[in-house]
Amino acid sequence: MSTGSALEGLPKDLVAHDPAEGSVTITVDASVYPIEALYGAAYIFIDRCYVLIDRPRGGSFSVSLTPKATAADEALRAMVGEFANELLSQAWRQKILEENRVILETVTTQALAGAMGPPSLDDLAAFDFSEESFEDPLGIAMSWEDKYKKKPEDKGASKPEGG
Amino acid sequence: MRDLRFHKDIYDAQAVAGAVEVYNRFADITVREEGEHRVVSVGGKTPARERKVALELANYALGLTRKGAVA
Repeated sequence: MSTGSALEGLPKDLVAHDPAEGSVTITVDASVYPIEALYGAAYIFIDRCYVLIDRPRGGSFSVSLTPKATAADEALRAMVGEFANELLSQAWRQKILEENRVILETVTTQALAGAMGPPSLDDLAAFDFSEESFEDPLGIAMSWEDKYKKKPEDKGASKPEGG
Repeated sequence: MRDLRFHKDIYDAQAVAGAVEVYNRFADITVREEGEHRVVSVGGKTPARERKVALELANYALGLTRKGAVA
């Protein structure tokens, strides 16, 4: 675990600075930031930092960030701030994903089914056309004969004269 | 010797093993289990080399874990 000082301007109980290693360790609440959010945020930083995630106790995660290039305290503070923002963004993204998972899967499935192309002759032969599968308020699916067939005469109506 | 502690709930076993396999050629690396962690010990010719290899190994393991999570 990290030892040493706090960075000025950052909460001491959440951010620890290890001057010997040049690293900072950020502690986050696991109930607020799921592990998927940590993966996402950490992965974005691996081009400029060495990242190590740990679980010091059940309810929290710790993320150790060691810049690849030597960084002054000001740069470390900025990096911590950027990581916190990215972590929040990833957590929010994960939340949206979970809330809309069913919709996303449904739309994706329908898109893939449509991309499979028209049904084959074998598919049509196996299809059951006997059931009423959809509503047809405009009568588009009706045959011409059914749509324009003569209606039975109303016995109570009078015939027009001279017709 | 420099130790890296990979929590089992966070880093896949395959990801850690994959990272060790890649960096084994650059340092003397051993792996052991300690409770909830897999501890990877990195030994090198110099402390600077140990540090460099260990940190790069950690990033690689994170990348493999992330790749497994996405897939």
